[in-house]
Amino acid sequence: MVLVLALGDLHVPHRAPDLPAKFKSMLVPGKIQHIICTGNLCIKEVHDYLRTLCPDLHITRGEYDEDPRYPETKTLTIGQFKLGICHGHQVIPWGDLDSLAMLQRQLDVDILVTGHTHQFTAYKHEAGVVINPGSATGAFSSITYDVNPSFVLMDIDGLRVVVYVYELIDGEVKVDKIDFKKTTT
Amino acid sequence: MSSVPIESTMPENCGISRRFGDLRGVQWRLDLGILPSSSSIDHLRRVTANSRRRYAALRRQLLVDPHVPKDGSNSPDLIMDNPLSQSPDSMWGRFFRNAELERMLDQDLTRLYPERGSYFQTSECQAMLRRVLLLWCLSHPEYGYRQGMHELLAPLLYVLHVDVERLSEVRKVHEDHFADKFDGFSFHENDLTYKFDFKKFSESLESENGFQKSPAKASSLNDLDPEIQTIVLLSDAYGAEGELGIVLSDKFMEHDAYSMFDALMNGAGGAVSMAEFFSPSPFGNSHTGFAPVIEASAAFYHLLSIVESSLHTHLVELGVEPQYFSLRWLRVLFGREFSLEDLLVIWDEIFAHDNTKSKKPVTNDPDSNSGVLDSERGAFISAFAVSMILSLRSSLLATENATSCLQRLLNFPDDVNLMKLIEKAKSLQSLALESNNSNSLLIHSSLYDGKKSVINRGHSLPIDSTSPRTPLKTVPESYWEEKWRVLHKEQEEQVPSIRKRWSERVKLRLSRTESDPSPSNKNEITKTPKPSVRRSLLEDLERSLGSDEDKDTAHHDPIEVNEQDVADEKVGEENSPKILDTKSPVRGNKEENSPKFLDRQSPARGNNEGNSPKFLESKSSFRGNSEDHENDPESSSVASNSSIDGNDAESSGTNQECSPLPVSDPPDGPSLNYTQNDDSVGKFAKGLKEKKILSGKFQWLWKFGRNGNEGTSDRSGAAEDAKACNGESGEKIVDGFKTVDACDSSCGTSKGEMDNQDLMVSLRDLGQSMLENIQVIESVFQQDRGKIGPSENFSKNGLVGEGQVTALTALKELRKISNILSEM
Repeated sequence: MVLVLALGDLHVPHRAPDLPAKFKSMLVPGKIQHIICTGNLCIKEVHDYLRTLCPDLHITRGEYDEDPRYPETKTLTIGQFKLGICHGHQVIPWGDLDSLAMLQRQLDVDILVTGHTHQFTAYKHEAGVVINPGSATGAFSSITYDVNPSFVLMDIDGLRVVVYVYELIDGEVKVDKIDFKKTTT
Repeated sequence: MSSVPIESTMPENCGISRRFGDLRGVQWRLDLGILPSSSSIDHLRRVTANSRRRYAALRRQLLVDPHVPKDGSNSPDLIMDNPLSQSPDSMWGRFFRNAELERMLDQDLTRLYPERGSYFQTSECQAMLRRVLLLWCLSHPEYGYRQGMHELLAPLLYVLHVDVERLSEVRKVHEDHFADKFDGFSFHENDLTYKFDFKKFSESLESENGFQKSPAKASSLNDLDPEIQTIVLLSDAYGAEGELGIVLSDKFMEHDAYSMFDALMNGAGGAVSMAEFFSPSPFGNSHTGFAPVIEASAAFYHLLSIVESSLHTHLVELGVEPQYFSLRWLRVLFGREFSLEDLLVIWDEIFAHDNTKSKKPVTNDPDSNSGVLDSERGAFISAFAVSMILSLRSSLLATENATSCLQRLLNFPDDVNLMKLIEKAKSLQSLALESNNSNSLLIHSSLYDGKKSVINRGHSLPIDSTSPRTPLKTVPESYWEEKWRVLHKEQEEQVPSIRKRWSERVKLRLSRTESDPSPSNKNEITKTPKPSVRRSLLEDLERSLGSDEDKDTAHHDPIEVNEQDVADEKVGEENSPKILDTKSPVRGNKEENSPKFLDRQSPARGNNEGNSPKFLESKSSFRGNSEDHENDPESSSVASNSSIDGNDAESSGTNQECSPLPVSDPPDGPSLNYTQNDDSVGKFAKGLKEKKILSGKFQWLWKFGRNGNEGTSDRSGAAEDAKACNGESGEKIVDGFKTVDACDSSCGTSKGEMDNQDLMVSLRDLGQSMLENIQVIESVFQQDRGKIGPSENFSKNGLVGEGQVTALTALKELRKISNILSEM
């Protein structure tokens, strides 16, 4: 019953002023145990805000992040799952599943969380799951049209992970759910 | 199975015959109304099974697994049911709320019965307790969880556990009656013809013989001890309702504990429902409009007034409201006052009494829904509370202030004779019932007045002592407010005299008695290290007093006196050997303080053996006299001053003891009332010269307390005090101790009763400086003597090493005072 929030590409303050109000009202401290951030926050204030939601915060460096100390990639273990984080601008072609799968094998993780495309995707292949939480603020992207604000909440329970996707479409929050089960290896 | 009526008596209880005496779990379930009182075991089992089914259903319904979709639907509304959903109905929302509640429960549960951690702190027990409490709170959201519920539940679970243990013991001894001999046999063994195989016959014969050799084995169920018989029947796996019906079952302990707890909290339709004690607001039934706890406390206070009116009046005068201690008593049904075994005996008694609401004969109240204690059980609870108070009667009557009364009541002694308490309670019970019936109105009025008396507390309380007896007064609220203001003003005028400006008084006294100190002082310088310490204490005291610089000190006594004054005054500062250096500034500093000190010191000096008490008394007399003077610090400073005495250990002890006391900031400018001071000074001087009592200091403190308490009546206190002091020279030290206790707490309470914020601050400083002084004194003593006798031996050591003993007792008193102050 571990709740992990995955989000990224906020581009605050350059491309967006803040998270959408509806998202902010949902994100209250106390419910979430970990936060995974793919990058491009960009400023320290966003980092502090995320830290108020949850003290356990993992961030990787996006190309516009103003803090140079974030790592390029990061791995962590939650429950039975190994998670990997990377912003994704390093992996070209941007958003390509095979290249991301290569990165996943390199990092040796079950769940890879990347961003940069500002578009939510969740792929499953035999080695694991690749999740892109999209842009939490709906910031402009040169490679994607019509960016909707979105983020992902993962509920890790034993060998099963339930991925809840929250998207803000036309001013309303839409929730979707995807189940993944890890085969014990 | 035939019905098995069992009569068994409790081992300790005489005269109570219970059906399942030794099996408390079953007996209590009967008493609480969960199990029917029919004598048929079958019926018992069926009811047990039903209650367990209900609990299991409740558990399934309320304990939420958010992964399982609600109502079994396969496509839940994700907008509602996602983990971040703000909607209160969502499963996740409930899940998080439950998690929150469980966190709160865990905080209490981890601290439950640590001394019996071997059972209560095991994870199974804790898990069961947590689940039961969680489910009860979820099904009774109007009560929520309150601390104390876990302590009600714990003994219930414990008795169930004890029953199960008894069962397993019995099982071990009488296995063959429990084990169904057909279970676990292999195919061949089960075959009757096989059994009668002649080859095996001899073997079985031998085994039969083996059986017959043990005489303890009963061959049939009916030959067993009736108690064992019950146990067997209650736990037969093939009886009515099968396994679910096994009345003594450890698989279903949680279920049974839940039903017992529920019945206890709800009162099972009776009058006493524990849940009401946890609710802060009055429930619909109550016509008094007060919270049930307050009602109940008023009820048993009323009973106390009938039974023992002197004690009742005494408590009421001191302002000891019953709910201060009865809240804890009632909410956990005396669970905190007694050990677990004793508690089980008490609860046996309580539950044995029926809980149905008694019919009220008087019907002049239209809505005469009784108080919360209106049943036999309630009456017994009330009577038991009264008998507990009565057992402390002598010590309660001896104390003179509310705080120590409350301390006695809240720290109920361990060695009380439980049987006596229960007997007394039983004898009072009928009285309690009667009083419940006829006096709800009086209770109402007493509560009404009691509420007002809360405001009036701290003043003499003639109102309170008469309120329980008078019918409801329809007095406008403003009347009470006014009365309070009037009383408060008087009180305030006295309070400042008690607390502030004691320095003025000191000054005054010094001017009067300046001749005295010098000769006596020279005589008493015996120990050189002491004076330095005292000097430092004086310094400290002076500094802490922080009053204006006084140039007049110079004309007073020899340097030693001043130094000591200074040292004593500097409560709260460390004693540094640099006292001599600071003497002069200090002197200049305390124009007001040093005179006081000197004043006090002189009598002390004049009297090696305990002038200090006289000081104190005259000091208190001062307080009684002059309204404009600050009493509390003054009295303490008087004490300290008296102890400032140069070289006597005892005087130093008393001195040091006293010096911390006066540490209050005299914030306002001194407003001297010299005329009254004169009187008191005169008396003071006289008193000083006459007394030779070690415990005088304590008497002073006692007077101090009394003065604080009897605010309005203290005007003439001075004269009385002085005389009283003189008259009390023969008092024993032990008594003095007690009175010091009393006055300590009375000091505390009298201070507490004043609403003056400055005073509070100054008192806190007082306490701190007292502590520091204590440390000083202790270090001094360690320097001087190798041994520091316990202050409890004070009376024994009275004649030997007086000074040291006095100092030690002074230390002890200081500690008490500081404790009281810190509590405030």
